[in-house]
Amino acid sequence: MMTAAVATPAKTAIRTEGLSVSYNGKPALKSVNIEFYENTVTALIGPSGCGKSTLLRALNRMNDRIPDAVTQGKVFVNGINIYDRGVNLTRLRREVGMVFQKPNPFPMTIFENVALGPRLHYGLRGRALEEVVEDALRKAALWDEVKDDLKKKSGLALSGGQQQRLCIARMLAVQPRILLMDEPCSALDPISTQKIEELIVELGKQYTVIVVTHNLQQAARISQYTGFLMYGELIEWGETRQLFERPQRQETEDYIRGRFG
Amino acid sequence: MEVQATYLERVRAGEWEALAARRDKARLRKNALSSALFGGVGAFTILLVFLLLAVIVYKGAPTISWEFLSQPPKEGMSAGGIWPMIRGSLLLMLGTFLLATPIGIFGGVCLAEYGERSRIMRLMHASVAALAGTPPIVYGLFGLAIFVLKFKLGVSLLSGWLTLTLFSLPVIVLTTESALKTVPSALIDGGLALGLSRWQTLWRIALPYAMPGIMTGVILSLGRAAGEATPVLFTASIYYSTAQLTLGWETLRQPVANLPYYLAEGYRQPGVVPDHLIWGACLTLIVLVLLMNAAAILIRTCARRRYL
Repeated sequence: MMTAAVATPAKTAIRTEGLSVSYNGKPALKSVNIEFYENTVTALIGPSGCGKSTLLRALNRMNDRIPDAVTQGKVFVNGINIYDRGVNLTRLRREVGMVFQKPNPFPMTIFENVALGPRLHYGLRGRALEEVVEDALRKAALWDEVKDDLKKKSGLALSGGQQQRLCIARMLAVQPRILLMDEPCSALDPISTQKIEELIVELGKQYTVIVVTHNLQQAARISQYTGFLMYGELIEWGETRQLFERPQRQETEDYIRGRFG
Repeated sequence: MEVQATYLERVRAGEWEALAARRDKARLRKNALSSALFGGVGAFTILLVFLLLAVIVYKGAPTISWEFLSQPPKEGMSAGGIWPMIRGSLLLMLGTFLLATPIGIFGGVCLAEYGERSRIMRLMHASVAALAGTPPIVYGLFGLAIFVLKFKLGVSLLSGWLTLTLFSLPVIVLTTESALKTVPSALIDGGLALGLSRWQTLWRIALPYAMPGIMTGVILSLGRAAGEATPVLFTASIYYSTAQLTLGWETLRQPVANLPYYLAEGYRQPGVVPDHLIWGACLTLIVLVLLMNAAAILIRTCARRRYL
């Protein structure tokens, strides 16, 4: 059983200020103020449609992809408001990596999947590139399983859990410092889920990790901080243990005790 | 007062089976009927195609020989082979392939990337779709007016390339567009989340993913172009050339013999080209087109195997 120890937060990596998102005029996120700390895992929990994925996708501007999404408020990543004009999206997403609910490896070899980012961003080639790929795959706890057919096997030939770790490796190879994970285990079996959870705890020591999950036990297992959202509002956020054991708000208590959602 | 029994009361437990049995019988009848109908019409269609092939093979196969494929016509076209026509068709295809593929792919990318947003692009899409259905003779006349006469390229291989390129472009553009639309948005998301720009995502992820579909479209479109006589009728064709079969820059400005034109003209002037030569050329053309289609299928399956 893993237990996530609560360390005193060092520095704020991301801070939102009155962050609101609406789709087609329908509010999905209402004036959220939250902070995410460095070298800490923060879980975002809440019932379906509560806005937790929207919040996550607002942090690396993936909502830009949705034509009718309107974002208001500010998101400071390392002190810079990413919604300011002239923000370089490539630079932002190099800093803030993302893993999706369903593993989405590219239709190319395992090596190419991981090498693509560092090659395009940093112009790495040859030995240097291979080192970065190996390092990323090791950090994603996938190296031993794939090292023999790195350049032969397609990323799509891996199992679901391996694919998700490949996607994590692909993200790490770009050298981000903030990792966003959108229900990274919800498409996986229990054993793969456990591996990813262990991995998240490990990554939380070096990265700012933000995980959306609908699994409360998972949030309790892997995170030091938790935010609870409902109807697009951030109801409560704080240390995970505190939030689970002594929630400040009635809604949080109801949700955690299974009376809602 | 007597209460009317409800439907449920009337249909007692055992009667559900009887009701279902009646429906079952009707369903079986309908199944049998539709199987017979679809199966029959389907078989008829396939039979027609095979009949066509069988007739051509039956009539043409005796003519096929190495000499027929590799020698020029002799004795005022009443004997000998059809090598100049095969060579001309291959030359026309090669140039068309090299010109139409990149232009068509760029066009398809353009439509897929910008197609939905702007009204102009939607109009372009509709126009390309209409062009794909335009009869080949229209391309032939356009080529004559523009390339042959206006640009003074004359009846030449070059004019043929340009005309056939125009002819194959719409289909390549449309297949490229639809192949790009089958790229899962999760892959695009993945690329963008890695910090790739929109164009990097397109070139590195979407295009490779769509490439088998695109190449299939290219080859099918070329196969169609290979068999059409009318686009090259006034732009590139010569019935038979006694010119030396050498390749050089001057070849570009010379007309070329080709299979479809040879077939059309040879058949139109009875008594000159004997029937067995026509049938032989017919079979050669069909095999050429089938080979191209087989290549398309091969490329697709290989690409799939590589990715999965």
